Amino acid sequence: MQKEDAALGEDNVFNDDVIIELAKSKPNGISNIDIKNEIPDVLPEIWTKSINKLLKSGTLELFKDKGTLLYKYKDPSTKTEVKGSDNEEKVVYKIIEEAGNKGIWIRDIRFKSNLNMTQLNKVLKSLETKKYIKAVKSVAASKKKVYMLYNLEPDSSVTGGAWYQDQDFESEFVDVLNQQCYRFLEGKRDAAIKLGGGPLMCRNRSYVTATDVHKFISELGISKVQLSVDDIESILYTVVLDNKAERTVNPNGEYLYRAINPFLKSPGIVRTTCGICPIVERCGDAGLINPKSCKYLTEWLND
Amino acid sequence: MSLQHRNVINLILLERFGKVIADVGDIIFQNPSSLYNIVKSADIRISKVKEALSVLIKYNLVTFKLNVDSSAAIYMLNLKNVLLMLRFPKFINLIKTKFDETYEVLVEEILLKGCVTASELIIKVAKRLQEQKTVNILLQELKDNFNSLVTAKYVTRLSTQVTKAEELYLLPNLDLKQILTVLNGENETLSDAGIYWTINSDRFHQDLRDQLIVNSVSNKFDDNMGELIRLLLQQMYVRTDPWVSSSNPIPILEVKDIVKKRNTHPQLATFFEQYVNILEQDATGIIRKVGEASGGSFQVEIKHIFTQLTWEAVEEIVNEKFDSKASRIFRLVKLRHYIEPEQIQNLVMIPAKEVKRILYMLLEENFLVVNELKRSATSLGPSKSFTLFHIRLSQVVRTMLELCYKTLYNIMTRRCHEKYLNKRLIDKKHRVDTITHGMRVQGISGDSVLDIEEMITPPENEILERIGKMMKKLSLTELEIDETLFLLEMYLKYE
Ligand code: SF4
Repeated sequence: MQKEDAALGEDNVFNDDVIIELAKSKPNGISNIDIKNEIPDVLPEIWTKSINKLLKSGTLELFKDKGTLLYKYKDPSTKTEVKGSDNEEKVVYKIIEEAGNKGIWIRDIRFKSNLNMTQLNKVLKSLETKKYIKAVKSVAASKKKVYMLYNLEPDSSVTGGAWYQDQDFESEFVDVLNQQCYRFLEGKRDAAIKLGGGPLMCRNRSYVTATDVHKFISELGISKVQLSVDDIESILYTVVLDNKAERTVNPNGEYLYRAINPFLKSPGIVRTTCGICPIVERCGDAGLINPKSCKYLTEWLND
Repeated sequence: MSLQHRNVINLILLERFGKVIADVGDIIFQNPSSLYNIVKSADIRISKVKEALSVLIKYNLVTFKLNVDSSAAIYMLNLKNVLLMLRFPKFINLIKTKFDETYEVLVEEILLKGCVTASELIIKVAKRLQEQKTVNILLQELKDNFNSLVTAKYVTRLSTQVTKAEELYLLPNLDLKQILTVLNGENETLSDAGIYWTINSDRFHQDLRDQLIVNSVSNKFDDNMGELIRLLLQQMYVRTDPWVSSSNPIPILEVKDIVKKRNTHPQLATFFEQYVNILEQDATGIIRKVGEASGGSFQVEIKHIFTQLTWEAVEEIVNEKFDSKASRIFRLVKLRHYIEPEQIQNLVMIPAKEVKRILYMLLEENFLVVNELKRSATSLGPSKSFTLFHIRLSQVVRTMLELCYKTLYNIMTRRCHEKYLNKRLIDKKHRVDTITHGMRVQGISGDSVLDIEEMITPPENEILERIGKMMKKLSLTELEIDETLFLLEMYLKYE
């Protein structure tokens, strides 16, 4: 993965400039289609990355015009200019700007600006109506808002990334991916066993990297959003936490995953109703809940 | 010692020995007492109490010592041994699979009697097996087998204050001629009178422990790996005391030679080094390389194995008792040792609210503990303290033990209750069986036997069948719960 990263890095540098030049040449903004036409030989994954980076740094601004997204070049010298604002607004704007696309919450703005709450609220309102800044709900804590510059795309730590849709965590999506990732690991292991050879070969053949799994998941087409290799890495870790896989590091510092079996079949105690009974604390000899008439036990006995 | 524990103990005694003994047992469970005190608190006649105590002592369920001013004996209940009775079927089965039927019957008789002299035991067993073999051969065989049980330490001298350590496995002096005369119904004092034998549960546990390890390793890897660990354990005994937490170094070539010679696992023989390598490199850390000389030598980390198995069992219990999300969180806390709730959510990929609910639930049921850390006063920031979640395995194990006791008690209670509900029918069936059996012995067959058998109507037969199934299921479950208990006990033993 390191090698790949390095390759991506080079492309990034190259592309950033290309895109800045493109944007400069069209003061009214460039669309995705424009970019594709101008640099057809560069993969979209690569140039969207640098677009995102430029948006984050404020070099590009995002606009919507008749339903198409346009990127506009923003001269760095005018970047921090807040027209028609008083000093307080400038200070607050600066603070918010520094926070980048991770945003900053109101308490911290207050600390840094030394304004009192009423003042600060007024300033924020004003900046918001002028569309210099916006408030974004953070997934980290419900009801907590963070402020950032109006044209920024919030960081995935704020939106939650691929796993969130409007602040709601998509559990089912994660579950499906968890299952599919395990299925892939399992398939790898079974194939390795079938191929035979010594146990060492068998074990080594059943290792996969997140990139392998990423490819498999992308080809499955079950995800409506674009998942990154890191996203898959996160999912794979949940498979590890489910004790269905193990994770090791190869000499390149890359994580390797492999399906594993448990030591034990389910322990005897959980094969009874009492071992998993939710009301076991209230179950006794006297009283309504007791083993003699317990209907969980009756059902289990008649199974 | 909890209420659950006390309940189970009481029920076991009640089922096996009846009410008086269970009552006496209960009194000394709460408080080791003198005979006088037992009589006073039990409100049972002194002769009955004496009788009860002597039975309990005979089965090694009660021990006694002199009180401080040496004026009276104080009786104590041996809780471990009471619970052990649930495990007897497993002991018998173990001997049966390892040796043969005569051994099995020998062990079974000792367990039934609690303790017994060797001659009496042989007489008893000979009576049971008489029909199969000529008496002389049988007696010789029984003597030999008994001796090998002692040599292998499955059976031991019942020790008293005056028994010396070297006497524990000293073979008794058996006079087969004498035994034969007694077997033929004559009276004679036997040569080994007064020397009692009982089973050595430690030795059985050692076998059960090894079995558990081999099975677990086979489950996780494959049968070849299971065989490897079995042989490692076998070679371990050559140099190592059976209950130490990690074995002395075992030269791996020794094991390799055995694999080659036995030739039962060709795959293991071909890829021997690879298997050793895999086991050694595995994250579970079952064996550890300690020397390079002559192919390397390895330690078996028995204590470590049981810690791993216990973790897995506990995780599985969390999984079943709550759900897979809970066990995921539980495992994360285990891996990180100490972790803040905010970190958990991102790594387990479960919605924040759900994580909070699960954490609270696990906390409530003692699977997790919380450590509050105060942040130093100088640091700024919104929160003044932070919360760390943590697992104390030994505490969880104790919670699990309680759960096992309670479950055992419930299952046993239900079994007794079902029996009680259908007592009349079960008794009737018994009577019919006895009568028809008697008739068959007398050579009566045909219609008259059928007539008697038909006293049990088809619907009654159906009920009986249902009850039979139920009893089987319940008894089997008791054994399975005991398996969990065994694992937890092993963990505590090595702790
Ligand atoms: S007897 Fe019934 S209520 Fe009581 S613990 Fe068992 S399953 Fe739960």
